[in-house]
Amino acid sequence: MEVQTNDKKLTLVGKKFHALGMFLLRRKAGQEIALFVRAFMSLFSKSRSFKTDSRNIILQTFFTGVEIFPILFVVATLFGTVVIIEVITMMGKMGFDDVVGGVMVVVIIRELGPILTAFLIAGRSGSSLTTYIGGMVINSEVDALATMGVDPIRYLVMPGLIGGAIATFIMNIMFSTSAICAGFVMTKVAIALTGNAINLQLTWDYLSTEILKAMTLTDFLFIVVKPLVFGCIITTNACYQAMNIPRDIRQVPKATGKSVIQSFFYIVCADVFLSLFYFIDYFNEISKII
Amino acid sequence: MYSEALRLEDIHLSYRGLIGTSFSKPRPLGFFESGIQPGEQELISGANLVVQKGETICIGGGSGQGKSALLRVISGLARPNAGKIYIFGEYIPPERLTALNVAKRQVGLVFQNGALISNLRVRDNIALPLRYHKVGTPAEIEDKVRMAMDLMRVRDYADFFPHMLSVGMQKRVAIARSWAMGPQLLLMDEPTAGLDNYNRRNLLPLIDNMRTLFKTTIIIVTHDLMVAKELGCKITFLANKQLTEPRYFDEWLHGDTAISKELFRDLRTSG
Repeated sequence: MEVQTNDKKLTLVGKKFHALGMFLLRRKAGQEIALFVRAFMSLFSKSRSFKTDSRNIILQTFFTGVEIFPILFVVATLFGTVVIIEVITMMGKMGFDDVVGGVMVVVIIRELGPILTAFLIAGRSGSSLTTYIGGMVINSEVDALATMGVDPIRYLVMPGLIGGAIATFIMNIMFSTSAICAGFVMTKVAIALTGNAINLQLTWDYLSTEILKAMTLTDFLFIVVKPLVFGCIITTNACYQAMNIPRDIRQVPKATGKSVIQSFFYIVCADVFLSLFYFIDYFNEISKII
Repeated sequence: MYSEALRLEDIHLSYRGLIGTSFSKPRPLGFFESGIQPGEQELISGANLVVQKGETICIGGGSGQGKSALLRVISGLARPNAGKIYIFGEYIPPERLTALNVAKRQVGLVFQNGALISNLRVRDNIALPLRYHKVGTPAEIEDKVRMAMDLMRVRDYADFFPHMLSVGMQKRVAIARSWAMGPQLLLMDEPTAGLDNYNRRNLLPLIDNMRTLFKTTIIIVTHDLMVAKELGCKITFLANKQLTEPRYFDEWLHGDTAISKELFRDLRTSG
């Protein structure tokens, strides 16, 4: 074909560059990144209209975020209760009273809060996004959209991507807040019910000051960055899996399972990658002490 | 100004080209890796077709011959392994042959099953592409939607969801949706299949109106040969993986070729 003949005209550097590009695009990760970029760039395409876009995004945010809130609240509260009780009793016994806040920030706000939120959203919204778009692919509705000149990536993927990222961000704040606040209340209830069998002196002042003392600027930064990255990963992956379904109805549940499991995997990978910045932080502090 | 609406030159399509729409795959990927591989089974090999502007043409043939696949190639949903496609005289290179690019050139496609967006009402289904492309003010779009609904007589069902409608009704809504975009070239996949005799008889004048009033070029894929007779248009058959010369219904009926003997046998005996 035309370009394959043009291929011979490429210089050596051009050939290498072309080979590198094709190598990346053949990989699944490369294709997902390409999908993410295309979905994000479609926000600025010619057919943009602020009203419809914002409505679609708000609907998707509502769908992803608000409807998951009850279960997220329960999970966060119970998780927070367990963490508060365990950390305070264990650390108290071992005589590490001064790191209680630090441990809680690490466990709830820094690591497990965003991850659990992302897992919940991947399990619920990611899977539903995959089945929704997958069903449209099977019914050739996506084809119909394309033949009408409506870009499926803009119409289907973009609201999911932006809405999902915003919802994950909001839900992460909700998760951390309810883990600490409602977790504290639940701890008090547990103390009252057991007649303080665990011998715990816990006040809100103590807990809040310890946590606020332990928060650093990086924590505040990563409260924003982490959930946004996770949300983008979940929705991009879900849409990618859905768009790749061949015309076979049995592939939809398969793709859904794949989307959820791969989202888990990518989230953990991204979490490790983002945690590298904390390690750099630690090393700086350690070198300061030395 | 070219008088040709569509020209296909030596189109080759393998079964591999039919897989998926792959909107998630970056475009260069399919493009650099296409081409005929040795020993590959082909669905269409070497099809040629020229359609003039304002002409209506029927593509017939037995089932499984790749009639619908040919429409998918023209509309950019399936990627041919080789061959050239000209739409309105403009050569579309393979890297540009995507559904979105073809749709930009005012080509509409009516699917066999209608393919309405299932979570939108009939009204919004018709208005969706208009709103997306911002064809005029909301009032103008509303007018156009109402006109399309009147034309296809689905106005009473404007607030219904697609699953509430019968297959024939869905097909009419799909035609209305394509018509509202004002296509210059309309591809129809089995417009009469699944319609009862009454609706079928209603639909044909509508197609006729469309081509006389709006000068739309129409390509109809059908196994219902009487459609071609009633519309008075040429028929081309997809046989032996190639398209035959387009001829009028009567020429086929009294012709002496293998196709006319096989496909027109019933019609001949019944008169």
